[in-house]
Amino acid sequence: MENTYLPCGKYHQTYKDEHSWWKTKFIKSKMILLLIVLFFVIPNVAQGYWMSIFNHVGYTILGALGVQLLIGYCGQLTLGHGAFIAIGSYTTTMLLLEFPWPQIIVDLGLSYPLSTIIAGIVAGLWSVLFGLPSARIKGFYLILTTMAAQFITVDFLITQYISQIGGRGQAFSIPGESIKIGPWVIDSNTKVYYLMLVLVILIIIMLSNLLRSRVGRAWIAIRDNDISAEVMGINVLKYKLLAFFVAGFIAGITGSFWISNLSAVSPEHFEWFLSLWLVGVILIGGTGSIHGVIFGSIFMVVTMELLRMGIQPLGETFPKLASDFLYIRDSFFGLLICVFLLYEPNGMAYRWWQIKSYFNLWPFSY
Amino acid sequence: MINTQETVKDNDVLLELKDVHMFFGKVAALSGVSLQIRKGEIHSVIGPNGAGKTVMMNIINGLYKPQKGEIFFKGKKINKLPPYKRAELGLSRTFQKVEVFGGMTVLDNIRLGRHIHYKSGILSGSFYLGKTKKEEIQHREFIEEEIIDLLEIENIRDKPTGMLPYGLQKRVELGRALAMEPELLILDEPLAGLNLEEVEDMARFIIDINEEERWKVTCLLVEHDMGVVMDLSNRVYVLNFGNMIVDDTPAAVQSNKEVINAYLGEEDLYSTRR
Repeated sequence: MENTYLPCGKYHQTYKDEHSWWKTKFIKSKMILLLIVLFFVIPNVAQGYWMSIFNHVGYTILGALGVQLLIGYCGQLTLGHGAFIAIGSYTTTMLLLEFPWPQIIVDLGLSYPLSTIIAGIVAGLWSVLFGLPSARIKGFYLILTTMAAQFITVDFLITQYISQIGGRGQAFSIPGESIKIGPWVIDSNTKVYYLMLVLVILIIIMLSNLLRSRVGRAWIAIRDNDISAEVMGINVLKYKLLAFFVAGFIAGITGSFWISNLSAVSPEHFEWFLSLWLVGVILIGGTGSIHGVIFGSIFMVVTMELLRMGIQPLGETFPKLASDFLYIRDSFFGLLICVFLLYEPNGMAYRWWQIKSYFNLWPFSY
Repeated sequence: MINTQETVKDNDVLLELKDVHMFFGKVAALSGVSLQIRKGEIHSVIGPNGAGKTVMMNIINGLYKPQKGEIFFKGKKINKLPPYKRAELGLSRTFQKVEVFGGMTVLDNIRLGRHIHYKSGILSGSFYLGKTKKEEIQHREFIEEEIIDLLEIENIRDKPTGMLPYGLQKRVELGRALAMEPELLILDEPLAGLNLEEVEDMARFIIDINEEERWKVTCLLVEHDMGVVMDLSNRVYVLNFGNMIVDDTPAAVQSNKEVINAYLGEEDLYSTRR
C-alpha cells in the first residue's frame, strides 16, 4: 500500500531515484508548500483556541505514532501506551523539579531538552520491560499484559508513590520558565505549536526511514509471519523488543513535549482511556500507515471539538447534555470506530492512497 | 537395505542427521532417522502423508528441537542453535504452505531474505545516513540482477505479495530463500498446487540454482510429484512412519520392493505427470 504508482509517463533511471524520498518534482513542490503552510501560514492565521486544537492534534499524532509502530508495523497489540507517555511526562517533570541541574545548563536552556531525551530513554526501557511477555505470547493475551503496564504504571506507581514525592499533592505544577529550549521559553500556544511541529516532523522522518531500511522490514516481517521471519534470519525477540523500545522512546518524547502545554501534571492526564483513544486513532486512520496516523489524529480531534461546539449551545436549553458531555463523547468515539470498521476497514489512509493513485494514472487508469 | 557403495568423504557432507528422534507426546514422528546430504547434490525426501517429512525439515531448520539425536551442518553441531542463527550459517528454506510476508511488496520480501547481509542498525537506519543509503542501492542491484532476473518476476516487483496468485507467491518465496545466498536450500513441496507450466518453470529454477556456476546451492527437496523427483534428484530418501526405508539413487529407489509397497504403489503410476 505504501507503494504508489508514479504519474503517467514518469520513469526512474537509477535505483537512487527510486529510493529517494520525494520521487517527482511535483511531490517535492507539494511537500515544500505544505511545510510553508505549516510553519508560516497557520501560526499567523490561527488564533489561540485553534492553536490549542492544532497542538492537541500534534500530541495525538506523536502518541499514535508509537502505537502505529507496535500495532500497525510490528503486529504487537498494545493497550497501555498511555503509561509510557506518562513515564515521559513524569520523568521530565521530576528532573526539572528535583534534579540539581548545574547553573550553566539551566542558563543555556538545556535542562528541558536533556530531560526530554532522558525521558525518552527511560520510557523506552520501561516499555521493553512490558514488552518482554511478547516473547511467549501474542494477540489478545499481549493486550492484557500491556494493559497491566497501564495500571501498574499510572494507577499504582505514579498515583501512589511518585505523586507523593516532595509533598506537592496529586498535581505537579511546572514553573513556566523551566520549559526552556536554548533562549526560547515555551510559554504560549504558538511556541508549543512550533515545538510540536519540529518534533512531529523529526519523528516521522526517523520512523519512515527506519521502515524503509533493515530494522523496519524486520518489524513488518514479524507482523506478517513471525515463523518465516525467524527462518529468514531475524532474531524475532530482539526486534520485537527493539520495537517496544522505539515506541516507548517516542512515547517518552511525547509525554515530555506535552508538559509544555500543561500547567500541571497529574495522573488524570494519562488514564487508560488515552491508550484506547490512540488505538482508535490508528484504526480510523488506517493501520500500517504513517499517513493514517496523521489523518486519524486530525479527524478524531477535530470531530470531537466540533461535537463539543455543537453540544454547548444545546446545553443552554438542555442542561443534561452539557453535564453529560463526556459520556456523549465516549459513545460517539465508540460509534465512530464501529462505523469505520464496517465501512472503511482499511482506514482513511487507504482511501487517500486510492485517490492519489487515481489521479496519478489519470486519465489512463488501466 | 542401506546402500553404501559410494564412499562418502567427510568434507563432502554438508548436513548430517544422526539417529534423530522426535516425539509429540507419545507419538513418535521420527524414530532414529539418519541422513547425509552431500555438497552440490539435489537430495529428495519422499514418503506418504504423515511420514514425518516436514517434521524432518523443521528439525533441520530449528523450528523443532529433537529429543534425541544430533544435527551437523558444515561439520558443526547445530542442535542448540535457534533458526535465525542457522540462517546465518547458510541454511534457507521455503514452506509447504506459502509463508510470504503478505503486506510487503515482492521486492521487500526478497530484500528481507537478504536481512543477514544488511548491516545498518537503528541509528543509521533512522537517519538514512550514507551507509544505509549505499547499502540499500548495493543490495537492490544484487536483487534485480541475480534474483528477479533469474525468476522472471520483473513485472510484479512492486505488487503486494498477498495479492498475487498462488503460483507467483511460491516463486517469490523461492526468491526470498535464494536472496540469502544459502549453502543448503530446503524446498518443502515447492510444486504443490502448481499447474503443469508452473511446475516446469519451478523445476527449471531448481536445476538452475543447483547447477549454475553462480549459485551451486545444495538442495533438499521434499516433493510428492514423482516424475520431477526422479528426474531432478541425485539421491532419494524414502521415509515411512518416521523410519527410513531406503536412501539411494532414483533408479534403485524405483525398483525397491519396500518403497513400492509403502508409497509408490502400482508400477508406472509415478510417471503420470510426464
